[in-house]
Amino acid sequence: MENLSSVFAEAGILMIVGMGFVFAFLSILIVAINILAKLSIKFPDPVPQVRRPKTVANVDSGAVSPSVVAAISTAVAQYRKNKIKN
Amino acid sequence: MESLEILWASTGLANFEVGQIVMMLVGLGLLYLAIARGFEPLLLLPIGFGAILTNIPVAGFSEVGGLLHYIYYAGIDTGIFPLLIFMGVGAMTDFGALIANPRMLLLGAAAQFGIFATLFGAIALNAIPGFDFSLQDASAIAIIGGADGPTAIFLASKLAPDLLGAIAVAAYSYMALVPIIQPPIMKALTNEAERKIEMKQLRHVTKIEKMVFPLAVLLMAIFFLPAASPLVGMFCLGNLMRECGVVDRLSNTAQNELINIVTIFLGLGVGSKLSSEAFLNVETLGILGLGAVAFSIGTGAGVLMAKLLGKFSKDPINPLVGAAGVSAVPMAARVVNKVGLESNPHNFLLMHAMGPNVAGVLGSAVAAGVLLALVG
Repeated sequence: MENLSSVFAEAGILMIVGMGFVFAFLSILIVAINILAKLSIKFPDPVPQVRRPKTVANVDSGAVSPSVVAAISTAVAQYRKNKIKN
Repeated sequence: MESLEILWASTGLANFEVGQIVMMLVGLGLLYLAIARGFEPLLLLPIGFGAILTNIPVAGFSEVGGLLHYIYYAGIDTGIFPLLIFMGVGAMTDFGALIANPRMLLLGAAAQFGIFATLFGAIALNAIPGFDFSLQDASAIAIIGGADGPTAIFLASKLAPDLLGAIAVAAYSYMALVPIIQPPIMKALTNEAERKIEMKQLRHVTKIEKMVFPLAVLLMAIFFLPAASPLVGMFCLGNLMRECGVVDRLSNTAQNELINIVTIFLGLGVGSKLSSEAFLNVETLGILGLGAVAFSIGTGAGVLMAKLLGKFSKDPINPLVGAAGVSAVPMAARVVNKVGLESNPHNFLLMHAMGPNVAGVLGSAVAAGVLLALVG
C-alpha cells in the first residue's frame, strides 16, 4: 500500500507539472502569435497589392482614358473642319 | 494414412486456440464497426483485418518472418508511421482560425486536463486486484484523452508497447464516438443562453503569418520541449509545406497518397498487436473505461475553461467551442457547430471551433512530449 501511495504522489506531481507546462507552453505561443500579428502588419499580403493595380486599370479602361478623349476630340475637330470646307 | 494426419495437423481447424477465435471475432467486430457503422473506417478496417490475420494459427503473421511482424517493427516500434501521419495531418491543418484568435490555445490546453486526470485514474485502478499499471502504462493510456490517434500510438509505442493494441483501438473508437460522447457533457455544463452566444467574426490572417507560425511553434519546441520535437517537427514540416505555396506537390502527397499508404500499414501494424495474450485481459477493459473517462474530462475541462475565458473577455465567447479543445479534428469542431445550431439556428460556430480544435492537436503533442520527458 505504501508503494501505491508513492506512485499516487508521483502521478499527482506529474499531473500538476504536466498541466502547468502545457499551459505555459501554449501561453508563450499566444504571446508569440500576438507579436507575429503585430509584425505582420508591416508585411501585408502581397495578393491584394497585386489585385489593386489590376482593378485600378480595369476602372480606367471602363472610364474613357485621356488619350482616347484626345484622339476622339481631334478626330471630331478634323471632321468639323472638313465639313466647314465642304 | 500418416500423410493425412500430417495434413490435418497443418490445418487451421486442428490448431485453433480459443483465444485466437475470440480475437478473430473482435477483428470482425471492428470490421463491422468500420463498414456498417462508419467508425473511423480508414483505420478500424485495416486494424480489424490485421487482428484477423495475426490470429491465424500456423501462418505466423506476427512471428519473426511474418509480414505483420516486420510492418510493426519497421513502422510502429520505430515511431515512423505515426510521425508520417502527423506530417500529413500538419499538411491538412489550417491554423488561420487559431492565429486570428490565439487565446483559443488556452482551450486546447485546458482540454488536456483529460490526459493528466486519467493518468491519476489509471494509477488508482491499481488498487483493484488484477490491474498492475506502471507509471509508463498509465501515461500511455491517459494520452487517449488527447483524442489524437497518431500521438497515442507514438507515445504507446515508446512507453507501453504491450498495451499498444488496446490503446489504439480505444483511441480510434472514442474518436469515432465524439458525436455521441460530447454533446451530453456540453449541454450539462452550459445553459441555453450561453449556447446561443454569437462570436465576433475572425479577422483576416495574412499569408506570412501562416508561414511563420509553424516555424515559431517548432522554435518553441526546440527551446522548451525537445522531447515533443519529433511530433511537433513533423507536424510543422507538413504545415509549412502547405502554407509556403511553393511545394504544392509535396503538400498534396503528404495529405493524400502518403498518409493513405501509411494509414494502411499503421492499421495492419496495430492489428498485429491484437493477439489474445495481449488483448484478452482485464487491463484492456480498464483501458477502454479509462479512455472514455479521459475523453469526457477533457471535453468538460475545455467547456469550463471557455466559460472562464468568456468572463474576462471583451468579445463574447460561446463556451461550446471549449469542447473542441480535445483534438479529434475536425469531428469535435463539427459537433460544436451542430450543438450550437440546435440552440441558435443562425449561429455558425464551425470556424470558431476550429481554433481550439487545432490548438488541441498542439496541446496533446505538447502533453505527449511532457510525458515522454518525465516518464519515458
